[in-house]
Amino acid sequence: MAEDEEEVRIARIIACFAPGSAGAPQTVARMAREMQAELLGLFIEDVELLRFAGMPFAAEVGFPSAARRAMDVGLLERQMRAQARALEEALAAILGPAPEGWRFRVERATPSQAVSAALAEGYAPALLIPPRGDPRAARRVVRKPELSDELLRELLRAVRPVLVLPQ
Amino acid sequence: MNAPLPADALRRRCDPAQFRFTTTAELEGLEAALGQSRAQGAIEFGVGMRREGYNLFAMGPEGIGRRTLVRRHLEAQAKSLPLPSDWCYVFNFKVPHKPRALQLPAGQADAFRASMERLVEDLRASIPAAFETDEYRNRRQQIEAEFGERQEQALGDLGERARKQGIALIRTPTGFGFGPMKGDTVMEPEDFRKLPDKEKERLEALVAELQEELARVLHDLPRWRRETMNKMRELNREVTRAAVNSTLEEEKARYRALPEIQEYLAEVQEDIQENAEAFRASKEGEPVTLFGVPMGRAEAPEATFRRYGVNVLIEHGDASGAPIVFEDNPTHDALVGRIEHLSQMGALVTDFTLIKAGALHRANGGYLVLDCLKLLGQPFAWDALKRALRSREIRTQSLGQELSLISTVSLEPEPIPLEVKVVLVGQRLLYYLLHAYDPEFAALFKVAVDFEEDMPRGPENDLAYARLLAALVKKEALRPLDRAAVARVIEQSSREAADAGKLAVSMQALGDLLREADYWAAQEKRAAIAAADVQRAVDAQEARLGRVRERVLENVLRGTQLVDTAGERAGQVNGLAVAQLGGHAFGMPQRITARVRLGSGGVVDIERESELGGPIHSKGVLILSGYLAGRYALGRPLSLSASLVFEQNYGGIEGDSASSAELYALLSALARAPVKQSLAVTGSVNQHGDIQAIGGVNEKIEGFFDLCRARGLTGTQGVVIPRANVQHLMLREDVVAAAKEGRFAVHAVATVDEGVELLTGVPAAEVHARVEARLAEFADQARAFAAGAGARPWQKTKKK
Repeated sequence: MAEDEEEVRIARIIACFAPGSAGAPQTVARMAREMQAELLGLFIEDVELLRFAGMPFAAEVGFPSAARRAMDVGLLERQMRAQARALEEALAAILGPAPEGWRFRVERATPSQAVSAALAEGYAPALLIPPRGDPRAARRVVRKPELSDELLRELLRAVRPVLVLPQ
Repeated sequence: MNAPLPADALRRRCDPAQFRFTTTAELEGLEAALGQSRAQGAIEFGVGMRREGYNLFAMGPEGIGRRTLVRRHLEAQAKSLPLPSDWCYVFNFKVPHKPRALQLPAGQADAFRASMERLVEDLRASIPAAFETDEYRNRRQQIEAEFGERQEQALGDLGERARKQGIALIRTPTGFGFGPMKGDTVMEPEDFRKLPDKEKERLEALVAELQEELARVLHDLPRWRRETMNKMRELNREVTRAAVNSTLEEEKARYRALPEIQEYLAEVQEDIQENAEAFRASKEGEPVTLFGVPMGRAEAPEATFRRYGVNVLIEHGDASGAPIVFEDNPTHDALVGRIEHLSQMGALVTDFTLIKAGALHRANGGYLVLDCLKLLGQPFAWDALKRALRSREIRTQSLGQELSLISTVSLEPEPIPLEVKVVLVGQRLLYYLLHAYDPEFAALFKVAVDFEEDMPRGPENDLAYARLLAALVKKEALRPLDRAAVARVIEQSSREAADAGKLAVSMQALGDLLREADYWAAQEKRAAIAAADVQRAVDAQEARLGRVRERVLENVLRGTQLVDTAGERAGQVNGLAVAQLGGHAFGMPQRITARVRLGSGGVVDIERESELGGPIHSKGVLILSGYLAGRYALGRPLSLSASLVFEQNYGGIEGDSASSAELYALLSALARAPVKQSLAVTGSVNQHGDIQAIGGVNEKIEGFFDLCRARGLTGTQGVVIPRANVQHLMLREDVVAAAKEGRFAVHAVATVDEGVELLTGVPAAEVHARVEARLAEFADQARAFAAGAGARPWQKTKKK
């Protein structure tokens, strides 16, 4: 894994959004415009979360309140749809209607699967912004061949954006 | 028979020949206040006496030169006194609503304000710079990472323990959950349902246990966050302290000799460290946050910086000596200062920078001169002044606060110690009223500066007066006066003083006369003011104000108002009254008549009965009864009923100067002795028949003279005045000339007997005998009526 960022022209920004995480749609939209990069807004409906929510005893412990609440799949899906719609609108408000230079997609998969699929579409180098990431924070630099599923999962849990270089 | 007064007794002349100068330009101007040695001594004492309560009250009529004399003395004294301290208000970091007063040596307040402004500017640059160093950034990241790691570690450990038991830790939209695993992923719900019940129960119990554990971990999170924030604050404080200390130490060194400033700067230092975030965020306009939470800043940065400002209340930078303040509009706020407000979002807000100085602040350490009448006319201003003098401190409070009308939180600025000498300038009446009705007045204004209205006249004072005129014309850039003009001004001054032996010292009237005489001299293209110019100025003043006088005279001449100046008539006398209108006085004759008949001994004053006579006039008439009873009816009851009236008087009458005229009318009526209508009378009388002095003698004589001249002077006309008033005679030149030519006479009398002889031409003894006989006749008639009818027929009997 490379730690130093090189001066590269970013072809695509993959901004990941997760259920319940507000993300920074305005910031990534502006970054995309500044960098003249294609933006992919990727809302990931985590399948593991949906499976968990479908359990008969499913309950969550609030963070940081520690309050316990029962989970409901129907409610979770409605929330996710509403959140995805709001995110798309927020991006459109800055970038104009898709697909001129940007796209928004909802993927039902694990986060690593959804991102791997997006990375496989080309557009290298790409800037990957994790669901709970800070778009303006210092970036990590990773070369695509080094990007294992385990590393990708770790990167998606972190805050720093990741610059994925082709080689 | 009483001879008329000689013409030279009617006007005391000032001989120009006594002066050796040609014009006043040759004289050295006299700056000292003439005839005010008493007031001058009092001012010197009061100004020099630096003890509590020795404030001054300069009393006397307007235009006498009170302010000028006070100013002159204060200026002389103030020069020798040191410059008082500067005063500032600054923020009180301990009790924000009580701004702190700081005292600085004279002339240093502005520099202190500027240095505090500079300090804030410097810190706005140096504090953000200190937070942009690599050292700070690394230490901050370290603290943040520590927290993140601790949190991740706790959650990671729990997740790992759960995984080992076949349970996955899943992030939900608003927290975490635990789900049973199948392989590396969360089990499908369908698969779970297919599990044996026992296994399901085991997994559910395990999940419940893990949830408990997660809740415990999450309960620790806020504490960890607090610990991290405290570390961050301590780091910030450390960085700020280094930046602030280096800047503030310079300031502290500059004010080493002033412990109060040192103390204040230490508080500033502490406060800046507490509010460093304001300095950090101010330039960028973004708040400083930790994990997205603002770092304890409730107010806008500019509001924070205002608190380090300095409100210079009083600065004596370019002054010398003690201040002398003349406050022309002594309202409550103008005296003690005010707290202004700004409108923000519809609410009125204030702070220590909006405290404004009052006259007491400006005069602190020196002198404050106030007009007493204006002061008393302003609501609560007098109370505020007394409170400040009594407590010896200036407490700036709005009236609303003082009167408890406003209950909202406002400022209570720290009081400022007061060391001031107050000079009140006012009329005598105000001094005596305050002395009588305000118990605090005597303790606070111990020095009465009583200004004279006149001064004795004599060769020495005439020359001093000429020098005073020289100073005045020089000051006002007027033409000099030749010596005849000086003599004429002196005579006019005597006339103003209503006393041939005095000179009026009213600077205002004198200034007016000189300015107007200068105008007329300019009209005549003269280089110096001549006596004719002075006379013209006097005549012009008279003419401008003469409308009413002329209308009154016209009424008499046309017979609308009946006043005879020839012939004789019993029970009728020409009295003389003075009207005072708009500062102009003029005399007018007034017919007084008396009727007598048998009665119960009373003299009825028709003026009093009709409520047109004032109390002094009524007193004069009552004295007549005393005179009659004491002079004629010692052995028998006074069986007289007499009525006295000022004919055609519709506007009220006051004073006792006509009481002698009323007595002459009464005696004439009783003695059936006709009175000469060619004479007019003035003077009051006492119970013994002595004629007493009255006021306005000159105007009264001139009033009757004007009427006689208009009808034609016959040589028999004249005025009878009290002998005590001869010293007051300063009559017009035309009156004096007529007297000299024998066409008009002024007689001075000391007793009723002298007067009655003059008026009736009958010896006084005979008049008295006739009166005595008439009264005896009345008494006999009364007795006869009483014996015959058993009752007094002239008295109404009550019907039962």
